Amino acid sequence: MTDTSSTVRVSTATRLYVYVSLSLVAAIVLVPLVTTALGGFKTLGDLRLNPFGLPSEWVWSNYVDILFGERYWRQMMNSLIIACVTVFLTLVVSSMAAFCFAHIRFFGSNQLLNYFLIGLMFPAATAILPLFIRIRDLGLLDSYWGVILPQVAFGLGMSILLFRNYFRNLPEELFQAAFVDGCGYIRFFWYISLPLSRPIVATVGIVTFVSSWNSYILPLIMLNTESKYPWPLGIMVYRGEFGTDWQLVLAFITLTILPTIIVFFLAQKHIIAGLTAGAVKS
Amino acid sequence: MASVGLTNVRKSYGALQVVHDISLSVDDGEFIALVGPSGCGKSTLLRMIAGLEDISDGEVTIGGTVVNAMTPRERNIAMVFQSYALYPHMTVGENMGFNLKLAGVTKPDIATRVGEAARMLALEDLLDRKPSQLSGGQRQRVAMGRAIVRDPAVFLFDEPLSNLDAKLRVQMRTEIKALHQKVGTTSIYVTHDQIEAMTLADRIVVLNAGRIEQVGTPMELYRTPANLFVAGFIGSPAMNLLDGTIDGENDRPVVRLAEGSAIDISPLRKVRRGQSVKLGLRPEHLTAGGDNIGGETLLVEPTGAQTHVLFEFAGQQMTAIVDGDHPVRHGTQFRAGIDKNLVYVFDRESGVSL
Ligand SMILES: Nc1ncnc2c1ncn2[C@@H]1O[C@H](COP(=O)(O)OP(=O)(O)OP(=O)(O)O)[C@@H](O)[C@H]1O
Ligand SMILES: [Mg+2]
Repeated sequence: MTDTSSTVRVSTATRLYVYVSLSLVAAIVLVPLVTTALGGFKTLGDLRLNPFGLPSEWVWSNYVDILFGERYWRQMMNSLIIACVTVFLTLVVSSMAAFCFAHIRFFGSNQLLNYFLIGLMFPAATAILPLFIRIRDLGLLDSYWGVILPQVAFGLGMSILLFRNYFRNLPEELFQAAFVDGCGYIRFFWYISLPLSRPIVATVGIVTFVSSWNSYILPLIMLNTESKYPWPLGIMVYRGEFGTDWQLVLAFITLTILPTIIVFFLAQKHIIAGLTAGAVKS
Repeated sequence: MASVGLTNVRKSYGALQVVHDISLSVDDGEFIALVGPSGCGKSTLLRMIAGLEDISDGEVTIGGTVVNAMTPRERNIAMVFQSYALYPHMTVGENMGFNLKLAGVTKPDIATRVGEAARMLALEDLLDRKPSQLSGGQRQRVAMGRAIVRDPAVFLFDEPLSNLDAKLRVQMRTEIKALHQKVGTTSIYVTHDQIEAMTLADRIVVLNAGRIEQVGTPMELYRTPANLFVAGFIGSPAMNLLDGTIDGENDRPVVRLAEGSAIDISPLRKVRRGQSVKLGLRPEHLTAGGDNIGGETLLVEPTGAQTHVLFEFAGQQMTAIVDGDHPVRHGTQFRAGIDKNLVYVFDRESGVSL
């Protein structure tokens, strides 16, 4: 069998070093996850006495009750709706804006781009008060849009940057060939740029999804009705009601993290390809 | 199919003018090659005809219509790029049919026309592949297929063969020529390879620094170059050029070289005594064994049928082409004869042929 991969031969010492350090990183990430997941199987007493070990008795009912309760599914659904709409809008708006920044020079185009990029430096939390007032004035308080629109706006800087760099690295002659074939900007965007930027679509999509999925502050400020809460707020409610029932909180968290992990494993290849796109000319 | 006309066309990038006042008319069905050194404005001129570059001044017509303000699509031109510029995410078939799809041609019609073009270019088995799964020569053919599928008024080629290896280049050159003979579409072909231009074109336009030096059939340019630039550019290996002064009788003019020897030139040349000139000798016009010029052999380059001989004469290096069987050895004396009717004379100041 011939070895076609470009594996570099390394010494045992190097290998050992790599494995040890990777294991360390993996442990730092895994220990809290596993502790949380196992905690969900314990009774409250067990959790108090033995927070890190295996459960002395596996209590499946913690998970089963959550899965068969209504709250979990409703909150997952809320999170999902908010995240999906956010992702969709972010992709549409940022890819189109980035295309203009990449290909069209107009008066003030650089300044406008910089304006968007400044957005990279401000997390939504810093602007929460003016944001609240603006959303209230728009009459969007306590609606999904009150969460979605700010999320899209704050995600634009990063997404536009990623898309624009990718579009600009597409060969100039491709653009000219398409122009000769009869494309204008819009058709070029639709038929050439967008299909070729699948890795970036995936990256932006996933990064946006995950940050929306985990967002806490925005829904906390904008939403009042419990039936509209996404899951991070839902946990808060849990904690309030079952102040002492930590095992249920842990089980709930585990069940909410699970979808993210599954999505990440499915899309792993694309995420990494997108983040490193343009680093090396292929 | 259509004729193409350029009238006083100019191109400036800001204050920098890269194409100066070019006028040219290309007949319907003609194959024109634009040649010239790197940076002389070949691509710029072609792209102005294509509609990919604004025309700073002057007029471009296609089929008698002024197209200055039209998009490439409206000009009905097709272009083959140096990098092929195939769409990486589309199959060969989709690449070739893309412009038809944009033009709103129905699917069955697209399939028929793509099929025809594919047959012409021997691409039938590759229609479902992606460009990344093709060899260089196949990609080149797809790029040509994309151009002929739409049956354009004019084909524009920008150094389409320069990314291929030598052997494939020769093969594709033949294919392009055969294709042009078959479809007969007006073609404008940019290249810096003068052999490509000579073999393909009906007429060649030699450009230098944004100006036309000469327009003519390949043999005209070869036989009667208008000036030193064209003389040096057309022909391979390049023409030998020697400094000299006109001397001798009126009916028997000679060029006296710096080191003293005299070389007969045709009495038909319009020269005057004492004029400073450049003498031009094509390597293939130096006949081995003659006795006009000669010197020590510096280098012998056999190419098979012929051998290139570099020898020293009048203090500079000269090249001669001799038969491959002719015995020449490095370090020996090489002597060559000259036919005075095959000697070129150029004015040294202006470079104009005399
Ligand atoms: N966008 C531009 N801005 C300024 N100058 C330019 C631009 N594009 C081309 N030029 C200049 O115009 C001149 C002609 O360029 P062009 O690409 O037409 O050369 P070319 O004859 O095709 O050369 P090559 O054989 O290297 O392709 C060059 O001197 C180049 O530097
Ligand atoms: Mg060029």
